[in-house]
Amino acid sequence: MFKKEWIAMLLAGGQGSRLGALTRNIAKPALAFGAKYRIIDFSLSNCVNSNIDTVGVLTQYKPYLLNTYIGMGSAWDLDLSDGGVHILPPFVGEEGGRWYKGTANAIYENIDFIETFDPEYILILSGDHIYNMNYEAMLAYHKEKHADLTISVLEVPWEEATRFGIITADLEGKISRFSEKPKKPDSNLASMGIYIFTWAVLKEALKQEETKPKSENDFGKNIMPTLLAEGKRLFCYRFQGYWRDVGTLESYYEANMDLLKDRPELKLYDDGHRVFSNSAILPPQYIGPHAKVCNCLVGNGCRILGEIKNSIISSGVYVAEGAKVEDSILLPNTRVFEGAQVYRAITGEKAVVKPHCVMGSQSSEDRSQCAITVLGDKGIWTKGFQN
Amino acid sequence: MDKIIGIITCNYRIDNPEALGRSYPLAALPFAGRYHLIDFPLSNMVNSGIRTVGIILPSMIRPVLNHLGSGKEWNLDRKTGGLFILQGTDPGIYPRNHDFVLRDLQKNIDFLENSIAEYVILSNCSNIVNVDFKEAVRQHRQTEADITLLVKEMVLTPEDEQVLLVETDRRGRAQKLVKAQGKTGQKALRFANMLIMKRNLLLDIVRGYQDIEYINIMDALEKYVSSLKIGTYRIPGYIGRIYSRQSFFQRSMEMLQPEIQKELFLGERRILTRSRDCPPTKYGPTSAVHNALVSSGCIIDGNVSESIIFRGVAIEEAARVTNCIIMKSCKVGRGTVLENVIVPNNTIIQPGIFVRGQPEAVMMLNINQTE
Repeated sequence: MFKKEWIAMLLAGGQGSRLGALTRNIAKPALAFGAKYRIIDFSLSNCVNSNIDTVGVLTQYKPYLLNTYIGMGSAWDLDLSDGGVHILPPFVGEEGGRWYKGTANAIYENIDFIETFDPEYILILSGDHIYNMNYEAMLAYHKEKHADLTISVLEVPWEEATRFGIITADLEGKISRFSEKPKKPDSNLASMGIYIFTWAVLKEALKQEETKPKSENDFGKNIMPTLLAEGKRLFCYRFQGYWRDVGTLESYYEANMDLLKDRPELKLYDDGHRVFSNSAILPPQYIGPHAKVCNCLVGNGCRILGEIKNSIISSGVYVAEGAKVEDSILLPNTRVFEGAQVYRAITGEKAVVKPHCVMGSQSSEDRSQCAITVLGDKGIWTKGFQN
Repeated sequence: MDKIIGIITCNYRIDNPEALGRSYPLAALPFAGRYHLIDFPLSNMVNSGIRTVGIILPSMIRPVLNHLGSGKEWNLDRKTGGLFILQGTDPGIYPRNHDFVLRDLQKNIDFLENSIAEYVILSNCSNIVNVDFKEAVRQHRQTEADITLLVKEMVLTPEDEQVLLVETDRRGRAQKLVKAQGKTGQKALRFANMLIMKRNLLLDIVRGYQDIEYINIMDALEKYVSSLKIGTYRIPGYIGRIYSRQSFFQRSMEMLQPEIQKELFLGERRILTRSRDCPPTKYGPTSAVHNALVSSGCIIDGNVSESIIFRGVAIEEAARVTNCIIMKSCKVGRGTVLENVIVPNNTIIQPGIFVRGQPEAVMMLNINQTE
């Protein structure tokens, strides 16, 4: 292999337990998003758009769909003979095998993989964030500051700062403190979980961390505080733009609904920064003679014969005549049969809403206060029959 | 089906190609929102298990090559077999309706000679069809035919004047190849521009006609009707053919029928096309869309009915698009009204413009008309 200046490692092993039924059968990064994407598309497309040609994807939890989806990476032009996308599950060595203990341990276990490319820098990403970003600018910043670690940060509203890992930095951007979900935050710069390390520094830190038996082997909890204590050069890189962690049902729902706004902050229609995805070749969507479509995002291959409003309709969805879908997210190949009604709900892939059944709350008043109704993959909804 | 190779000829022309815009050969004619006509024969071959396909290029090669790329979408970027780009001959001024000119095959005879396949399937690009060649080949073998012509039983329309009809005996063996001229309204078997034969037989024909290589293979076959066993395979299901602007429009509108959509695009053997990673289509709060086929990457804020909308089209608020075909990356300005119009790629129509064609004579919008 030729030497690479930098490579990316994408952490995609998360279960996403807070997404409930949606991730029962698949890893969180494989969850469908925004009518035609899967969550991991955003990170992978960012890599490609930033001219990164080598990406290691660390998988652990139910990786089948994710593996199939990524394939050899051709959907993102990452099918390269020199680099490209590599799926890195936990493996067995002479001393037996073990699961990845934490985010840092996952990278530690793959030191050999990284060394084949002999990179100067390494970019650590999460596979469960929705954002468009050019990492090249961040790398330039990292080099300019002669940093050992650069963390991408986002200004969040002060009242929400308690939910994030908060970075305290001086005017130049040099980090002085890191506090995980602080009760009394002294800064509103939240870590986005995107790191650029100088590889030599990270390798050393990972090896040290491995010797500590009580360590959680986590970047935020262990590696960063250790580097800070050692007096290494940690800088924060301010990102401006749309970024969402879609770890919970509510945040996943809101991030989808953000796309329906008049001018969404996340630009999908920008030719300069395309979001690639690995989608089946389907015909254009068909909108029937009696259909009503209002404020919706609709994927390919859909057949909409009923009424859809304020909703995200993924590829291959069927909405029968007389059915009604409002404020909902229908994941790929959902079928909503005649007379059925779906309000403020998320239906999993290949889910079915039986004829004349009702999902979610019908009353339009304060629907936004109601809990989101979720139907898992291949689920069949038979409740609330109304004739 | 490793013993079969396919050849698709893109040289076929319609009477008046300018009527559909000067910029594309028929093979690259945009259809049904995201397809090109070449997608139909190519996908049919691939879906029938054929892994080696030669494409005989038209004189204007760019739109075809641009669409095919390495053949990745059809799984034809392969070490063994795959997509073969074959040079077409200069179309010159030979009579129209020639789709399998022997000269094209003569020029690419290496492709046929180097193959070890037993059979060759030839197809042109003027038919909208989803056909299983496996079935056709099975019948070809069963009947021990030398050549099998794929045909469709249909009632002839005035537009079919130039097509070739196959007259058969009771067992489906071709007796005579005749022109459809003057047979409007009659039920007949139309040659669907697809045929199956042994590779060696095709080589013999191509070599045998070296001196008059400018003729069409069908003209050559006429002489063999009695000596060779020429069978017919009746294509079940939908088949649409494009001769002119009006028939292009009619075939396009037929794509709004759910049954036809299902057969062509949603079954197990679905038609494949180049994927372009467009974002999903956004329908704004003011949109009203009825009976329309809409591709990805569009932003629809206006009214659309009985129409085909290609990728990346923007239809602004209060615009009204009825019975139209709007091709890739067009923009229809606020309050503009379009009826019975075909709008070619990348056209920007300013706000407040009225363009009305007649249903029986749709209009092709010329960019200059909008200025």
